[in-house]
Amino acid sequence: MSSASARSGWGPPATAINALIVATVATLAFSVTLRGADTARDIVGESQRRADAKSQRYEGLLQVFDRKGRITDKRWTFERLGSSGQSKAVLRFTAPPEVKGVALLVVNHPDRASDQWMWTPAIERERRIALQDRSTRFFGTDFSFEDLEERDVDQYDYSLAGEEVVDGAACWKIESTPKQSKSSQYTKAIVWIRKDNYALARIENFIKSDVVRRLQYSDIRNVQGIWTARQLEMSDLRVGSRTRLTLDRLEYNVNLNDADFTLLAIRRQ
Amino acid sequence: MRRASALALALVLVCARGTNSQTLTQRGFAEGVVFLFPQTTSNDATQVVGDGLVREEVFWKPAAWLRFAAGLDVRASSHDEVEPGWRFDFGDRGIQRPRLSARRLAGTLTHGGLNIDVGKQFIRWGKTDIVTPTDRFAPRDFLNVISSELLPVIGARASYQRGAEAFEGVWVPRLTPSRLPLLGQRWTSVPQEADTVPIVDAGSVFPTGAQAGARWSHVGAGFEYSLSFFHGFNHLPTIESAVAGVPPAQVLLRAYPAIRAYGADAALPTHWFTLKVEAEYFTLRPGDAPATPPGGEGLPPVLTDDYVLYGIQLERQAGEWVFIGGYIGDVVTENRSAIAFAPDRGLAKSIVGRASYTVDPRRNLAFEGVVHQNGQGLYAKFEYSESRGQHWRVTLSGVGIAGSDTDFIGQYHRNSNVSTTVRYSF
Repeated sequence: MSSASARSGWGPPATAINALIVATVATLAFSVTLRGADTARDIVGESQRRADAKSQRYEGLLQVFDRKGRITDKRWTFERLGSSGQSKAVLRFTAPPEVKGVALLVVNHPDRASDQWMWTPAIERERRIALQDRSTRFFGTDFSFEDLEERDVDQYDYSLAGEEVVDGAACWKIESTPKQSKSSQYTKAIVWIRKDNYALARIENFIKSDVVRRLQYSDIRNVQGIWTARQLEMSDLRVGSRTRLTLDRLEYNVNLNDADFTLLAIRRQ
Repeated sequence: MRRASALALALVLVCARGTNSQTLTQRGFAEGVVFLFPQTTSNDATQVVGDGLVREEVFWKPAAWLRFAAGLDVRASSHDEVEPGWRFDFGDRGIQRPRLSARRLAGTLTHGGLNIDVGKQFIRWGKTDIVTPTDRFAPRDFLNVISSELLPVIGARASYQRGAEAFEGVWVPRLTPSRLPLLGQRWTSVPQEADTVPIVDAGSVFPTGAQAGARWSHVGAGFEYSLSFFHGFNHLPTIESAVAGVPPAQVLLRAYPAIRAYGADAALPTHWFTLKVEAEYFTLRPGDAPATPPGGEGLPPVLTDDYVLYGIQLERQAGEWVFIGGYIGDVVTENRSAIAFAPDRGLAKSIVGRASYTVDPRRNLAFEGVVHQNGQGLYAKFEYSESRGQHWRVTLSGVGIAGSDTDFIGQYHRNSNVSTTVRYSF
């Protein structure tokens, strides 16, 4: 595998929604044998390479299920420009009415944590999300701010932990740990990658030895040549709540303008 | 001007309704608030106050390079805080809140990294959260002093961002003042002498002339800062007073000093907390002789102190908790003994704090407090908020105020209250 493909930005193992930001899972063909890529890192790199697209847009439906089973719906639009690892993304809420217009700008970097700013129209101000804030839930969902960022495959160390079947699909089970230069709330993550199409099937995030968040991928479809999970469900195992994200109107390689991914731009409503 | 503004507002709202939903977004709410004050004050015996507000905002993007924003507020009050008539207000210069007003009406042109906004809009500068001294184009409605709302200004703003650098220039042809507490109501603290000498509100004298400002911001890797300059008028007035008439009355007039201000702010996120600092130096415009306000013959000239107002705050988020703590200070470099209504300076030499907790996606708790370092003024607020379904939110608040009559916070010690807010968002 070339170094270029290895660096093309991977939906980080420790992050869930990243999969939707980077478009995560992809393949060009079924039953591909990974030539010379039998290490855990190569598998992750190949998964990332197949998910690569120069831009992405979708409308998301977020359903937050609390411990008592009550459901809160939120909707957002999402646009990403640039290849993974060095991309910029804007996420803007469209529902419910009280959070309509709230926007998050994420500027990803290959060598360090992303920069993030949130625009809150009610106070007409943007606020930088600090590094220590990123373990916090994002707007009452089970995704944390860190889960919204995208990180490069080289920011982690990997080891193959075995093979397992997830939802009927044979998967590689890979353990990933953030490198020392990487700032993360998670100690490690276990990632399941499908053998047939290199799509992510599940991620479990650990703090010390405890699983704290689990992300399950489902409804995997081929969209413009990229195998993409249309439904992602993040469970916060500490509080017993979960958030389901359904992707609608998903498109890759759409024409987006770089000027729409700035602090100035997220003020525009 | 008012008729043209109303027509333009109606045009945007109507045109926008007929366009493709892809280019149109909308948000709005209807809100009712009831305040209960356990104590009366010497000038206000009303203990239950109800306010209502309906707000609708529409954002229309007919082309990639062009956007329009329009917003309308309709208000009601049980305590004469809203003008009785239905005149359409565009300038936000009234003593009371207008019943019907334009919240925003602006067009935005975009070309690459350049944005030009023209019209009635909100302009926010600064980084800190409790007092933002560099926020020079952000007047407020202080009818309820401790729960102020931002007011828009009418003008033009050009913003340009290239990489990590952003430049902003603002021109505002006329002053939008902050709205002060009403003289006959509890948020105006009336001195004892008022029992013998009646106080007469002579209104406001608005300065003529435009205001301008510029700001340069740098957004670096993990660090950001800004420098700003302002040339205009303070939106918070000095209070000119004189004894006049037979029988004698204390006549009060609001006047707005001509100032220049130089500001800086910075935010430094670290692994443990985020440090935010912000400071502004305010000075009477050099070369501008203090002037007697037009229409205020017999009153002294409009003066203001020269001073630095600054805020330092630390932010820390831990799990579902957000903590903010800091200090607000000022340094007076030239005291001209001006009497002013200045809530920002009134909070100077205070320790401030805020903690909020997200219980679950529907419920939030918040506590905030301000205490003057001399112990003469104390403010504390507790708030619980819960959403119901996709549209409803109920907020319960309790505010406690204590201190002495001579302290900016303490003077409102009889205004402790509880309130309930019900909002329907659409």
